[in-house]
Amino acid sequence: MAAKSALQPLLKYLRVPVQPLSQNIFSISPHLFRRFSTEEVRGCFLDKSEVADRVISVVKNFEKVNPSKVNPNAHFQNDLGLDSLDSVEIVMALEEEFGFEIPDNEADKINSINLAVDFIASHPQAK
Amino acid sequence: MNLLRGKISSVMNINCCRRNLFSASSRLPAVPLPAKKEVHFWYILPDEVNSAYLLDQYLEILSPCEKENIFRMKGELLKKRALLARTLVRTTLARYQTNCQIDPKSLKFRKNSYGKPEVDWQYSDDWSLPPLHFNISHTSSLIACGVTVDSPIGIDVEDKQRRLKTNILAFARRYFTLHELEMLTGISDPETQQHEFIKLWTLKEAYVKALGKGFSASPFNTFTVRSRDYNKKGICHAPHLISEVPEIIIESSGDPNKPLGNWKFVLLELLGSHYAAICMEQDMICGGNGRVAINLSIRKTIPFVEDGCISETDVVVIGGLTTLLGSA
Repeated sequence: MAAKSALQPLLKYLRVPVQPLSQNIFSISPHLFRRFSTEEVRGCFLDKSEVADRVISVVKNFEKVNPSKVNPNAHFQNDLGLDSLDSVEIVMALEEEFGFEIPDNEADKINSINLAVDFIASHPQAK
Repeated sequence: MNLLRGKISSVMNINCCRRNLFSASSRLPAVPLPAKKEVHFWYILPDEVNSAYLLDQYLEILSPCEKENIFRMKGELLKKRALLARTLVRTTLARYQTNCQIDPKSLKFRKNSYGKPEVDWQYSDDWSLPPLHFNISHTSSLIACGVTVDSPIGIDVEDKQRRLKTNILAFARRYFTLHELEMLTGISDPETQQHEFIKLWTLKEAYVKALGKGFSASPFNTFTVRSRDYNKKGICHAPHLISEVPEIIIESSGDPNKPLGNWKFVLLELLGSHYAAICMEQDMICGGNGRVAINLSIRKTIPFVEDGCISETDVVVIGGLTTLLGSA
């Protein structure tokens, strides 16, 4: 886990110059080559039901939440009575759980368990 | 007392031929519109509203869509809070009658292209209303509605004692700017640090809500909210050590010299239990030095029952140039 997270910033900031084909393409990092392979990419996505279980567990652990109200369809605001600060805290807890950063413009839209599960399950960086 | 009022109003309803005119608007005392640079801040305390009869009255003035949303919610407290929030918006705006009484039920609302709620004046029954702007915020113990004329407004209210589940500095590191993180890191007392965090959160929320474009359009780490003269001659003064009420300013975190438009802030401590932040657009004509005060009128309400100005002892202005107005 630690090794992977150490690699994260490196991958994020790795710059690959766009070069004509005549250049030696094998100088490009082998990591990037593997990421574009279909099999690799498919293997990076988490199983949706596993994601759902983990998301539900994170939300249930949230102090303000009544665990009995938590179900896969629960809406943070309307069903669980959470406000904007709570929602941001939950997004942060999900980032910790799944080991990747959720961009602010995506975090804005995650206001129900279903949306959180959909987003995380479709994100290859989720662990 | 409530039963008596109920009997009187039902008699009025029976005798009146124009149902709309007497059902709700006559029980809302008219108030003059806010002037320019003026904010009216109305609030309701959910714990003080427990009469089932009154709550039914409130349900009556909501639109079918609003009622539907409330029925779908789970939990009585949640439903009550949502009901009071919609009631507060409708009854507050309905008070600002110009030439005739407005039935709070007749107000129509829409969302701007980013989802911020606003009044749809075009389809309201009374088309002669001025362009009122409003914004609401609720906590479990206080619901507030800010109203202005001709200026976008954003408000946020939080319980002072609210505890984060996450570590405050970890949160600030992730979502706030470096400047704000440094300010919070510099506070050694945990309770003070928590209070300063909540104040900062309410100010930032109020700004984003005033802008009306959503959290994603102005991520919290792209702008810093701070007290003016915070960095005096290179010495960092934490806000809680500044004795005069500091003016609050906003700047871009990327380039501190880049102006972010003209926004004024007010930060209040209400009833000793809540922080409230108000953000509105500054009048360009008054110049860019930001020395013009916001005129603020704070009113407590239980719609259809009583309205009143907040007592002086219940409010403390802790940030922003503000003049507190007495009752109208």
